[in-house]
Amino acid sequence: METVKETADIQKPPQTNTSLYRTVWRWHFYAGIIFAPFLFILAVTGAIYLFKPQIEGVLYQDYYEVTPQDEKISASQQIEEVKKQYPDAAVTVYRPGESADRSSEVGIVNNDESLTVFINPYTGESLGALNSEDRIMDKIEEFHGELMAGTLGDRIVELAACWAVVLIVTGLYLWFPKKRPGMGGVLFPRLNRGKKTFRRDLHAVPAFWVTAGMLFLIMTGLPWSGFWGTNFQSMATNTGEGYPPSVWVGSGPQSTIQTKDIADVPWAAENLDVPVSDLQGFIPLSIDDVVSAAEREGVHPSYSIYIPQDKTGVYTISAFPPKAQDEITMHVDQYTGAVLTDYRYDHYGWIGKLVAWGITLHKGTQFGLINQLISLFICLGIILVVVSGYYLWLKRKPKKDMGAPKTAGFNNTKGFFLLLIAMGVLFPLVGLTIIAVLIIDFFLIRRIPALKRFLNA
Amino acid sequence: MRKFMIGESNAVKKYVFMILLLSFLSACSLNENAAELYKQETPLKLEIQTPDTFTAGEQETVKATLTQDGKPADHTDFVHFEIWKQDGTVHYGMEEAGNEGGGVYSISKDFDKDGLYFVKVHAQQGGSLIMPQKQFIVGELSKSDVEFLQKGTGKQEAGQGHHH
Repeated sequence: METVKETADIQKPPQTNTSLYRTVWRWHFYAGIIFAPFLFILAVTGAIYLFKPQIEGVLYQDYYEVTPQDEKISASQQIEEVKKQYPDAAVTVYRPGESADRSSEVGIVNNDESLTVFINPYTGESLGALNSEDRIMDKIEEFHGELMAGTLGDRIVELAACWAVVLIVTGLYLWFPKKRPGMGGVLFPRLNRGKKTFRRDLHAVPAFWVTAGMLFLIMTGLPWSGFWGTNFQSMATNTGEGYPPSVWVGSGPQSTIQTKDIADVPWAAENLDVPVSDLQGFIPLSIDDVVSAAEREGVHPSYSIYIPQDKTGVYTISAFPPKAQDEITMHVDQYTGAVLTDYRYDHYGWIGKLVAWGITLHKGTQFGLINQLISLFICLGIILVVVSGYYLWLKRKPKKDMGAPKTAGFNNTKGFFLLLIAMGVLFPLVGLTIIAVLIIDFFLIRRIPALKRFLNA
Repeated sequence: MRKFMIGESNAVKKYVFMILLLSFLSACSLNENAAELYKQETPLKLEIQTPDTFTAGEQETVKATLTQDGKPADHTDFVHFEIWKQDGTVHYGMEEAGNEGGGVYSISKDFDKDGLYFVKVHAQQGGSLIMPQKQFIVGELSKSDVEFLQKGTGKQEAGQGHHH
């Protein structure tokens, strides 16, 4: 109650707006308490992941760097070297390395573990192998994307990101300068107005400053979330203005060769266990032909070749380099070598281009170091806002209850609830949680006096 | 009580919204034909017909039927055939194929030795380049042929350098 009075005294809002102000505050308060910890995790892991290129460059220097020599050996020979080391492994991907002093990489699945074997492309010698499980940046990415908790984690992250939008909207309303002289407490904190005011400003002022950046990171991050992102990408692709299919959602084309025209491979050592006629037919291209196709078609040198694992599959040449404009996803028929699709940035629809830019900006690669530093600044800002928000709460919180602003009825709050519903439609997970909140409120909180008192409902 | 009523009607509204939402979501899976809305390639397609029977002392014809965009490919930049035997004892180097019209290209060669053969077709039309390779059997397979097949890689490169 005290906290409400304090704000009411400072703001002196006209009476008609009080219930709206309290309602907005209440939602901001609870959403903040529930989702701020996740935003904190996202900001910390994101701040680290931004510097992945530099960090991995140092960590894996011995795997990455090779001394350039006259001529590289062919991709198929390099893969043969890997097969000697791992005779039972399935080779899934080959990455030639974007520069003369960069090793090539052969991705394999060996005993259910995915390994990357680094090869000196001049000698064929192995520089060592990394298990994906052991790569610290992969762990951080997993933490950032799904809290290391699979699909459930992915949904929680998505929920936190969507609710962060609600926090931003409600926060902006609470921050929005009322009749007050000067920009103190709006654009800069007031240092001489006592501790309570300073605490409030320490949350609200930095929050305002990072709002645009935070909203940008959320909106650029959402397209690769599992639920909202996948649906969004499908819809965009269906309109013809998103990514072409297979770049993000959807599968690539199949081989132009019919399965019956493909040669069978006999397995038994003593006798031919397949009819001789089935042995006749098309046989897969050598990966060297795919490498020459990539070079012929002018693919960005950081490309990888994904190797088909079944008869109808195709080779996928893909490159997602630092800059969105250099992206490419190309499918090559594994029997004929025909280019089946050739999707580059220029072939994306406008939504696809926007999302592609969003992703490289979000990852901090588009503009290199300056991009990373700006994003780092936003992450640090988010951390500050989360911490100061909690600090503000703990300092204001009475011992006996949550210290939430008291519920204020529904007068004058129609606009706000319409906004919430709109958010719930735009972000279905937010919608579902709003429904859950209303159900819990209606069936539990309003009927259990102790709970009602504690939550100030 | 009034507050309750408003709260309830809000909840009902939201149920309706949720149902609308779910129907809306289930409708937004990827359209199968979405690829047609984006840049499309017109890859050369082909079938290779190898002879069914081989007669000593006579030439047999290997044919390739090429199509592009559903039409016979008869404006090719080039169609070259290359044929060799798995054990390396026969090698017919890259050679221009005869154009029989209607997208059919052919070459005639002697296949007097039994064993596993490969034919590789290099063809280009309208910016689509293909280099498929097919294996076929003349008479009986030798022990080395069987071993080669059982290695299961299914891959063998022509003896000579790359064609470009």
